[in-house]
Amino acid sequence: MSNLDRWLMIPALILPAAASAPAFAVQYLSVEQAQKVLFPGADQFVAKPVTLSAAQRSAIESASGVRVRTAQVNAWRAKQGGKATGWFMLDEVYGKHEFITYAVAVDLDGAVKGMEILDYRETHGGEVQNPKWRAQFTGKKAGDTLKLDEDIKNISGATLSCKHITDGVKRLLATYVAALK
Amino acid sequence: MNAPVDAALLHPQPGVKHLRARPLLGTLVEIAAIGATAERVQAGIERAFQAVEMVHTLMSYHAADSDVSRINRCAFDRPVPVYEHTWRVLAAAREMAEASDGLFDITIAPTLTQLGFLPRHADFPRISGQGNWRHVALLPDNRVRLLRRLRIDVSGIAKGYAVDLAVKALMDSGMSAGRVNAGGDLRLFGATTQTLHARHPGAPASIVPLVELRAGAAATSAGYYTQRRHRGRMITPLIHPHTREACGVERSVTVLAQDCMTADALTKVVHADPAQAGAVLMRFNARALMLENDPLTGGCRIFDSAATGQPGWRARWGVASDPGQARHV
Repeated sequence: MSNLDRWLMIPALILPAAASAPAFAVQYLSVEQAQKVLFPGADQFVAKPVTLSAAQRSAIESASGVRVRTAQVNAWRAKQGGKATGWFMLDEVYGKHEFITYAVAVDLDGAVKGMEILDYRETHGGEVQNPKWRAQFTGKKAGDTLKLDEDIKNISGATLSCKHITDGVKRLLATYVAALK
Repeated sequence: MNAPVDAALLHPQPGVKHLRARPLLGTLVEIAAIGATAERVQAGIERAFQAVEMVHTLMSYHAADSDVSRINRCAFDRPVPVYEHTWRVLAAAREMAEASDGLFDITIAPTLTQLGFLPRHADFPRISGQGNWRHVALLPDNRVRLLRRLRIDVSGIAKGYAVDLAVKALMDSGMSAGRVNAGGDLRLFGATTQTLHARHPGAPASIVPLVELRAGAAATSAGYYTQRRHRGRMITPLIHPHTREACGVERSVTVLAQDCMTADALTKVVHADPAQAGAVLMRFNARALMLENDPLTGGCRIFDSAATGQPGWRARWGVASDPGQARHV
């Protein structure tokens, strides 16, 4: 045995269960910020919410192969100098552990112009705060208020797959065809 | 890849900070940057996302028109020209395979398909079941030839390359600090020190603080979110190249290195054979932290390749200090 594999013999550190914090929730962009990022030139966003009919819902489901969970469509028409430049659609997907709010920009030809995540939350009993133990690692004093998205931002370790978002985009494109075009 | 950090970055400038995320590379890619004005920061982040999207397009196993798919479809019959970025990743994969005596191997794709981790492509030719990384020939003028009927998958290294490229885009855009995190493959630059956290392998919704990082890269591989049941056992897409067996799900491996591509690839080496990995880590000037769930206490045991047993090593490597109630075995 060389001393190169000595590191496997004894743990360098044993962390008690109390030293782990719940994983995270991040707000990346507000709706207004996402609108500006996806349509930098637009000067106006006109809300055009739609309630889907039963016929539209089944048309969207058969076109996209994705289930439509809600009849509400949150859509805005982007305008530049009074002229429509595209649609901004806001949507949510729920996975097993994650809740994701995202926005898709669709141009006037019905093609995806871009997309952004607004909110990503991994929920297991919400944002439990236990600043006391965290203080011993972050160099902060107990009693300092900790904001999860500020203090815990470098999480190395797989994020859940984004397959739900891919499905969501398919559904939104079919929604555009069925209800906004 | 590793532009020296400009001296100006060592004095933090007040600036505008933005943080954005998009689903790319099969995960959530998060990019944060600090720069002089909001417009410049958003433009820098946009450029960084474009770099990640390019890697996604060129090296996806899923997309039929990627360089990787063209290699898998045609490179046994004739040399296939690829883009410079793909070439660099293949060259790095080869270097890692040589250094680790094949513990890193991009030709495990068929095993991943068998286990259900990669899709089947109806138009890929049949494989012979023979051959390994040595049979991926890198010819002049960025051409690639397969010397055996095999298939490659670069997802064990390309994510790290995408992160490096995105960081370079942020630096080239004049950002004073930044961070790119592609589902656990992350890299930082700038003046501030930040704590790196990893998920608890026994309870992945919880995180544990690992080390302090200022500039540099980290990558973590673990099975918690990718595992699936195969023939009655939980398996991960982390395959031992020699046995072609899937690793179990009990541990997570974080590697710290100068660049993210090296860190990303090394996590696979440590997973495959932690004892052999020591020498490979040394060679790339990298460090591994292996987390194991402690089922008795619900806590976690951290093994550290930098642990020399000498007093003071913890401070030297910036390891989170012993939290008092830890018991040493």
